Amino acid sequence: MTTGLLKTFAVWASLLFAENAPQIDVVVGPKSSELERHAARELSEQLTKLFDANVTVHTAIPAEARHVILVGNPASNPAVREHGGDWPKLSPQGIVVRSFQDKNASGVIVGGGSPVATLWAAYELAYQFGIRYSLSVDIIPDENPELKMSGYDIIREPVFPIRAWRTVNDFPIGFESWGAEDQQKLFAQLAKQKFNRILISVYAWQPFVDFKAGGVQKSTAMSWYGEKYPIQRDTPGKVVFNGADVFENPDFAGKDGYEELTASGIKHIRHLMASAHDLGMTVALQMSPLEFTREFEKVIPGAKNSQGPNNVLIAPGEKQDLDDKALKQLVTAQIRAYIETYPELDALYLTLPEFPEWEAHAEEAWKRLSEKHDLGDATLESLTEAAGNRNTIASGDRGRKALRGNVAALAFLGDLIADGKLLERADGKSIELVFVQLDPGLYPVAEKILPSSAGMLNLIDYTARRVVENQDVLKDVPAKKRPSQFIFTLADDNIGILPQIATKRIETIARVLVEQGWQGFATRMWIPAYLDPTVHFLSRFSFDPTTTARSAHDEFFMSITGHQSSADRLWLAFSHLEDATEILDQNDIGFAFPVPGMFMKNYKPEPAPEWWTAAFDSYLEFLNELYRAGGNTAPNGYNFIFYYSKRSEFVLEYIGALRALREAAIARDAGEIETAQEKLSVAIESVFNAMDILSDVAHDQSDRALIALLDAYAYRPLLEEQERLSEAAEAGEK
Amino acid sequence: MRHYLIPTTCRFQSVIWTIIFGALYILPFGPDVACIADDWTQFRGPNATGVSAAPEPLPAEFSTSQNLVFSHEIGKGIACPIVAAGKVVTTAYAPETGFVVYCHEAATGAELWKQVFKVEPESLPGKIVPPNEHASSTPCTDGERVYIYFSAIGLCALDLANGEPLWSYSLPLPYYLMDWGPASSPIVYEDMVIYCQDDDLDQYLIALDKKSGTLRWQKPRPEMLGGYSVPVLCTANGRTDLVVAGTGKLQGFNPATGEEIWACNSLLRTMMSTPAVKDDRIYVTCQSYGDAGRILKDALMEWKDTNQDKKLEKNEFEKPFWTKFEKADTNGDGFLIQEEINTAFQAPTNMVGGGNIMQCIKGGGAGDVTGTHLVWNLDHKAPSNISSPLVVDGRMFVVKKGGMSAAFDDTTGQTIWMQKRIRNLGDYFASPVAGDGKIYVTGENGFIVVLKQGPDMEILAMNDMEDTCVATPAISNGRIYVRTLNKLHCFGESAGDGK
Repeated sequence: MTTGLLKTFAVWASLLFAENAPQIDVVVGPKSSELERHAARELSEQLTKLFDANVTVHTAIPAEARHVILVGNPASNPAVREHGGDWPKLSPQGIVVRSFQDKNASGVIVGGGSPVATLWAAYELAYQFGIRYSLSVDIIPDENPELKMSGYDIIREPVFPIRAWRTVNDFPIGFESWGAEDQQKLFAQLAKQKFNRILISVYAWQPFVDFKAGGVQKSTAMSWYGEKYPIQRDTPGKVVFNGADVFENPDFAGKDGYEELTASGIKHIRHLMASAHDLGMTVALQMSPLEFTREFEKVIPGAKNSQGPNNVLIAPGEKQDLDDKALKQLVTAQIRAYIETYPELDALYLTLPEFPEWEAHAEEAWKRLSEKHDLGDATLESLTEAAGNRNTIASGDRGRKALRGNVAALAFLGDLIADGKLLERADGKSIELVFVQLDPGLYPVAEKILPSSAGMLNLIDYTARRVVENQDVLKDVPAKKRPSQFIFTLADDNIGILPQIATKRIETIARVLVEQGWQGFATRMWIPAYLDPTVHFLSRFSFDPTTTARSAHDEFFMSITGHQSSADRLWLAFSHLEDATEILDQNDIGFAFPVPGMFMKNYKPEPAPEWWTAAFDSYLEFLNELYRAGGNTAPNGYNFIFYYSKRSEFVLEYIGALRALREAAIARDAGEIETAQEKLSVAIESVFNAMDILSDVAHDQSDRALIALLDAYAYRPLLEEQERLSEAAEAGEK
Repeated sequence: MRHYLIPTTCRFQSVIWTIIFGALYILPFGPDVACIADDWTQFRGPNATGVSAAPEPLPAEFSTSQNLVFSHEIGKGIACPIVAAGKVVTTAYAPETGFVVYCHEAATGAELWKQVFKVEPESLPGKIVPPNEHASSTPCTDGERVYIYFSAIGLCALDLANGEPLWSYSLPLPYYLMDWGPASSPIVYEDMVIYCQDDDLDQYLIALDKKSGTLRWQKPRPEMLGGYSVPVLCTANGRTDLVVAGTGKLQGFNPATGEEIWACNSLLRTMMSTPAVKDDRIYVTCQSYGDAGRILKDALMEWKDTNQDKKLEKNEFEKPFWTKFEKADTNGDGFLIQEEINTAFQAPTNMVGGGNIMQCIKGGGAGDVTGTHLVWNLDHKAPSNISSPLVVDGRMFVVKKGGMSAAFDDTTGQTIWMQKRIRNLGDYFASPVAGDGKIYVTGENGFIVVLKQGPDMEILAMNDMEDTCVATPAISNGRIYVRTLNKLHCFGESAGDGK
């Protein structure tokens, strides 16, 4: 031990660093595109972090250079032309990471078939050096890796040309609550994982478009189906809301009224689009063309409620036939409003209603479709019957209605689209058209009944497990004849707020999709908390189908934790999480669907079902393995793993609260009010703890939303029930 | 009856000064101190008791809009504020700012100085489990200098008047097997700064000359495991002992030399709370995970044996532990198994396990006092693992997770109340403090529950700090200083609303 004056450490340390820092020269073509220059900047930053290097960006190789990285392709960078050797033939998405040796310098070329592919190649090199990309941060290895420029010869083309990330959509726990700035950061992380499309999914009740139709002005503009999430003085975990008295998307904070909200909403979506385009991604908008806000009931009298929380939407009813002019005007006005409000849209995804109400005219619709297309032996009756008898969640009457509703919608929309003007962009460019959620019963005739050149984005069932169990349905999709994308459910909103993952199932599906020539995928999830391993798998698999769930897991976590044994424990951890996910899916898929009543629907005088124990045990094992892995994780990755483990404690408290709630209900029904109150107190404390735990590690809007949602749907109702029981007890005593 | 918790040997001196200066008197320790009586000069104030003896009224109700004297955003930290010579000192750390020591005027909140230490992130412990933070150690002061521990620096002294660094003494970086991170705090006694560092790599008690920073003595504590108990002083039989709680033992040391005088072998494996001293009695509470049979080995096999092969390997530990590992690997096969694990980190002479204890131990003994000085010993589930006991007004008060409180007669250990909720759920890391007949209980969720000091649990108020609270508040001159995770607030009755 020594004594000494302070303040000298930092100076010495920085001098020491500067002297030993390697010099790396990054060379980008003098006439390179903005994306290529962005690639060079990104790479410079990453190399600095990885090697404590001095990195300089040039437009030609400096004479004294020893470590050089060339960014671009032979067309965009003369240095690549000189050193790139026999440059491979690449698609616009193909990437190259290739070593070269000059007389003085050793180097690597990162290039691609387009500027965005070059950007991906740059990120791939940093990945090869050991950086791992999560949805929120880059994790740098603790030990500086060897600055190795030799031995790289990676040439890759994607097996999935479309790799879309769905955003906005619904519910506060999903991206609907994320501000555009936070999403911009997320998109940057997605670009590093070679995602190339942002799919902005919107609902008619949201404040993202303004139009008039049939003399009626749109006047509904709200978030999350009109639900509100106040933050109260005693809201557990409220510190994460920074004093706000209501949970909001920051882009709508303090905004009120249709005009203000809509203006903010349009700004929000434009910001998302610009962020995605800046990263070389395409932008698609997904909307439901046959759903409208309630004020349009005047335009289509007799419209039905469209199924969904709070009945905020309507859909055509029996009174609207396939030629209904008012309906056509309304649909056209709504679609045109989106296209005109967002003139830089690359693609439009039209969602066929999830719970079709417009099935009365299915026969007429089928007749029209049959007249236009050769549908072979298929009949509406046979397809409807098959839809009723299938094993997916939309079966029975729901399945039959779904198929019939799809037929009506396709006939109607087919006519509208046929005139060619509906999807015209202001600059004359064509918008890619994709139909979403075509009923699987229509796959055998999909090639014929979809408008020409339209693609499909298919959801076979809500969870990956269910898709695997019905994977034969995938073979009915004419993926080689119609561009077909698949909706990968990474986490389902029915299982809802609870931790979930499905990487192993997704691997199974991905292999089938590759075999059948699918064009790509779009993600589906709400809370991103535990999805890094799945997203990483999809990223790696998309460019290398030899990747397995396990190999991707090891590649990801070996680098983050620094130890194979930790990666092994994490594999066990996520296997337990996948087990818990499947237990919930098999037993009660709507167990924690994030709507009012989510929690209190369990206040019934029945013993907790055994599967709750099984799910709890799996979550507990998940947690234990996470902590075990975290204990042996290198410092740079520690906080990343700690987030998983600490956050996971919440689910144990949540299930504990539900058990206490059941016991309270049993006691209440037995007239044992004091016991019921005690049990409710236990439930209240457990929910408090669940929210408190989440607040300890909350790092995004989905986490914060979950706290707000638990307050509204679990904590407040419990307090109210406790109050009610107290009053009942007092009344009894009197 | 109000107890003025000043060691008896010093009480006479204090009374004299009180007579001379009215309300002001010099603190008892050392000839050259400049603190006044109502200062709060270290972790949990006078001798870490958490009790303010000052007569000034303290507010029951306070918030960011009520009875607020001042408030500053100072960055992240969980060290307690200290108050002396009209100044309040706090610390904070962020990678962007480095380690910062702030000094504000205690009465107005005006910033008097701040001292910034640039810290290379590599020089810090790599892993720290929340709610711990890097700025976790509470400074102490004698009214002239402020003494600070920070992991990357060691111990150092700053001039309280202007923040100028006076000396520093580097210490080895602490390492904890379970990644808890450093959080021990120094104290000033007479002309020394005394600091106890019990981590899982190195354990020692050290005393430095407070003016020069030179070493006065150092006492290794090889029998200890990671813990955070702050040393306290206990005067009994005319002798003032330096008392430190640690793994399995409460020990009394000669503060002048560091020599061990006595030990009471009645504590548990992990000791994070600090004892409270009243007169010649020392009150210790501890909750250490698991039952009496759960020794460190069990925790290691559960959490450090990453591959679960029932053997510990070197790479399952951070590098600094490798020397200890090699020493314990008696057969040199590269693994720790069975007996090797038992004693690799936990001393074979101190194989204590977990459980719950609340004890009253009489000071002033010699040798092994376990059988002679343990006045009472309760095995209730009342104590917290971190929050320390509060001994005031004839009662020992404890609080733990869930806002579950209990109180015991400090003479007999008899229960006054058990398992009563203070109506604020969640974790309790801060320790309760008392003043003006009130007990202030700080919840991690940012609510400070104010109880009436008395034989019944009576809630006076619940005050919302609107931020996470881990640090124990300070009380001085009718003011309460609350260090939330991000801010320093000062509350006082005269401040009124909306200030």
